Amino acid sequence: MKKWAGLSMALVLAITLVLSGCGGNNAESGGEGSGGQSADKKVKLSILSWNNEKEMKPVLDGFTEKYPNITFDFQTAPPVKDYIAKLQTMLLSDTATDLFIIAAENRNEIIDGGYALDLTNEDFMSVMIDGNKPMLSKDGKTYAFTQTGWAGGLFYNKDLFAKAGVEGVPQTWDQFIDASLKLKEAGIIPLYDNMQDVTTIHNGLFGNMTLTANPEFDTKLFEDQATFAEGWTEVFKIWKEDLIDNKILTPDMIGLTGDQIVNEFALGKVAMFPGGPWNINTLEETNPELNFGMMAIPGPNEAGGNYFAGAPGVGFAINSKTKYKEESLLFLQYLASPEGLKAFETGTGALITANGFEGTVHPVMESAYNDGLMKSKVYLPMVSWSRHQEALRGQFVVSIQDLSFGKITPEQATEALDKKLKEMENK
Amino acid sequence: MGKLLRQMKFQLFLLPILLIYTLFSIYPLLKSVLLSFTNFDGYVKTYDFVGLNNYMKIFTDDALVSGISFTLLFAFASTILITVLAIPLAIMLDQNFWSKNVHRAIFFFPSIPSGLLLAYIWGFILAPISSGVLNGVLEALFGMGPQPWTSDPVLAKASTIVITAWAATGWHAVLYLAFLQSISKDYYEAAAIDGATRWQQIRLITLPLLAPAMTISVMLLLTGGLKVFEIPFALTRGGPGFETHTITQVIVLRGISETQYGLASAMSVVFFLIVLAIAIFQVKFMQKREERIQ
Repeated sequence: MKKWAGLSMALVLAITLVLSGCGGNNAESGGEGSGGQSADKKVKLSILSWNNEKEMKPVLDGFTEKYPNITFDFQTAPPVKDYIAKLQTMLLSDTATDLFIIAAENRNEIIDGGYALDLTNEDFMSVMIDGNKPMLSKDGKTYAFTQTGWAGGLFYNKDLFAKAGVEGVPQTWDQFIDASLKLKEAGIIPLYDNMQDVTTIHNGLFGNMTLTANPEFDTKLFEDQATFAEGWTEVFKIWKEDLIDNKILTPDMIGLTGDQIVNEFALGKVAMFPGGPWNINTLEETNPELNFGMMAIPGPNEAGGNYFAGAPGVGFAINSKTKYKEESLLFLQYLASPEGLKAFETGTGALITANGFEGTVHPVMESAYNDGLMKSKVYLPMVSWSRHQEALRGQFVVSIQDLSFGKITPEQATEALDKKLKEMENK
Repeated sequence: MGKLLRQMKFQLFLLPILLIYTLFSIYPLLKSVLLSFTNFDGYVKTYDFVGLNNYMKIFTDDALVSGISFTLLFAFASTILITVLAIPLAIMLDQNFWSKNVHRAIFFFPSIPSGLLLAYIWGFILAPISSGVLNGVLEALFGMGPQPWTSDPVLAKASTIVITAWAATGWHAVLYLAFLQSISKDYYEAAAIDGATRWQQIRLITLPLLAPAMTISVMLLLTGGLKVFEIPFALTRGGPGFETHTITQVIVLRGISETQYGLASAMSVVFFLIVLAIAIFQVKFMQKREERIQ
């Protein structure tokens, strides 16, 4: 019996050794054919898309109409975590698609890993507005093309505001708190926020209180010249004192899902919630009668201006190991052309922020587009923090949840973030 | 020689499953051990060996400390709750009544869908707002205000444990049922002739003879409970704060979200050893108990 156990062990060991051999080195893989010189050669471009097939259809159709010899192997994964995990697996096993997406959450890893082609000097990059470039660049080189941006704020129900006697849209933090308390008095739930992210309210407060006075704050944060304690403690304090202590936000909201919140707002059961352009279709479909608008986060600092949450959209990048570099570049060139921009807008409903393109903006989004996006009054830490975004975001969420049920103080919340940053820098 | 050849033939039957087991269990395990000594980040294929650095970081990790305490609570509480519920349920389902097969099926059903799916559905039932299903019912019946079932530190822990018990009790009852049916009826007849009551029969015949089933059931529950991921993750996303983070969730968080594969691998290795130790201790302990009882 012992002998057989030994034999089995030996076999296991042998298989394992063979497997480790496989894992090591297989740089060449996937696709057949080479170079891709002639324009008529049949080529199948693979793409791992962030948008689903229905949303991408106008773009893909428009492109294949223009270049009939090129077809697509279309793959998709839903944003954000699923997409990032799938792409990561593909990159590690050398099976990544010719075209893929770089998002704020994976840009450092993709660029540092040398997985994306440098696009800085391509002609079509002139279409990309300068404000969109930093997120997708490193050391002055840009690795992906984006034609979109987004901004989000607080959706508010105009009818409920009127019912509670709130006049006009709150412009300052005090007016915002007053309005929320008035709504509460009238028996209306003022605001839902499930605190599962760096929230829109935090983004707005930070923009208004810290960023305006110190636009380079996040750069300094990652150069060890500033701390979360300096830039965020006041933000947490005002959030805790005015929203939590007044029970405008309550810890039980942590259990809400995003869909539940949107649904409750659409049905007129809550007066405000933080959201973005992606919510508008659902809101209008659920309740066509809904009378709503979107406002910036009213800031306490009068000179600071009111901020939206917002950022450049995700960028299209080319796999540095692609066999079809030329065709992939043609695809990006098409995306940047007026017809490609139009097709992308039609399919995805995204806000197009490209040079020389007049986009259509939903009336609800006008203020976010004009006062936020186009005036750079938007902030999103996932874009602005240069490293360890996911780790810091995770800690941020835990900190604000702990803060919401009084487990820690605002000072302890920023201390935890500083500790996390230090840990990640020394990992 | 002939004997050796004959045995070899039987070994051949084991080869396919051995291959699969090696490919999907042993190889990843060994690879994790290797990676736990490196600074692999999940993206760049070149990495350096960092010795025991990752292992030294493990126990200063707040999330992991809180993960360990919730996971232990979850594993032991759900094991006790399920065992206490499953044995009486099995005894009831062992009775002869006309709908017994339907009843067995009904109790078994919740263990079929994946935990993730169950937890999402329970998420709707336990929604903390007044339009949540359970809150709606409680308000209609007793006029109670909305309760934060999944967002209060204590209630969130209780909810995950109760839902797990709801999902798994039927499965374990069927396990006990199988053992119950193998207990010879003679014992009961003899006891009845001696004038034993029903309760005495259960206490002195049924429970001792169920000891082997209990060893298996408790081992499955404990190791499963320690490895739990789906139900707490889908129900509370580990919140509020770190309150319902499980060890596995912290490993996924550190490895995938924070791209610290080396550290996450070290956590997995330590976790593997802990589960192994607990399982060995539990099986040895309960086997001793079986011998003592019988």
